Amino acid sequence: MQLSQDAAEQRIADLGMDDMPLEPLRPTPHQIAPDWFKRYHELVHAFTTTLTDSIQELAISLNLSQQDFIDLIMGRRIPTNLSVRFRVPLVWGGKLEIDNLFMCLTFPYSHNMDRFIIEQAGNDVIWLPNPSKKIYIPTHLGGIGDGGNATQDRLSEIATQIATSRGME
Amino acid sequence: MNTTEFLSLVKSRGATIYPAAAKRDTELANNALQSRRCAMLPSVFLDLYNFASAINIGNGYIFGPINVDRGINAPIPSIVDININLISTPEIRGKTIFGRNDLFWFAFDAFGTFYMLDNLSLRVLRKYDDPYRAMTDCLIAGKF
Repeated sequence: MQLSQDAAEQRIADLGMDDMPLEPLRPTPHQIAPDWFKRYHELVHAFTTTLTDSIQELAISLNLSQQDFIDLIMGRRIPTNLSVRFRVPLVWGGKLEIDNLFMCLTFPYSHNMDRFIIEQAGNDVIWLPNPSKKIYIPTHLGGIGDGGNATQDRLSEIATQIATSRGME
Repeated sequence: MNTTEFLSLVKSRGATIYPAAAKRDTELANNALQSRRCAMLPSVFLDLYNFASAINIGNGYIFGPINVDRGINAPIPSIVDININLISTPEIRGKTIFGRNDLFWFAFDAFGTFYMLDNLSLRVLRKYDDPYRAMTDCLIAGKF
């Protein structure tokens, strides 16, 4: 059944992602290059090395260890339970480009995004999850929203907490 | 190939193999799948769960009869939880999802056929007569 925007937003909220932006897409099958899988792997490696600008999400919201963070941005290993997803799938015309990728927790979010798309199979318009940042973390898990000075505020707050706990104030 | 050889192969590729499931947990999972009209666990899986409650390489997962707790951000759901959430999905009727990676889902049916499925539509992309081949593809495609 074709979902309206309201229905799609309600469904993605039911799946635990009430702050996930959605983009409508009319899926038209596209040819995929025969070497797509090799290029996909290379692209995922390249994507992880661009995550040096996402330290707040990785270190604070996901609580990655220093070693996990270094392994990730060096393109050596993706930490446990993290997935890299296409914003627009290749079969629907998505490009094998870094801008077409984002990262999120595999369980429950990436798996639930799969469910969200599968439930729309056969529709004329498919609503696709399309987070604004390279890493999607729901705000209720400590994700950092767009705009404002939330990041600065959060870092200041954490710094104050650390200083307080160490008796530095 | 048998279960031991399969586990040895995926371990050599970097798999994390979680401790064997209790027989009772496997029985309960099988009953739960049956009561929800999913395909019951084939003998290969009954044997596998004697050695592993779940397997993971990168973003490739084989689900087990119980949830695997890996800390607050990283639980692996059980095969029952995965399939309960798909009961209303007609594309999967008669099949049981047993694994996934970031590109494909994997399933078996009651006749012992294994499948690679498109993770956008659950359309069948490939059929396998060899379950170990299906499980290997599921895990290896998830390797970073």
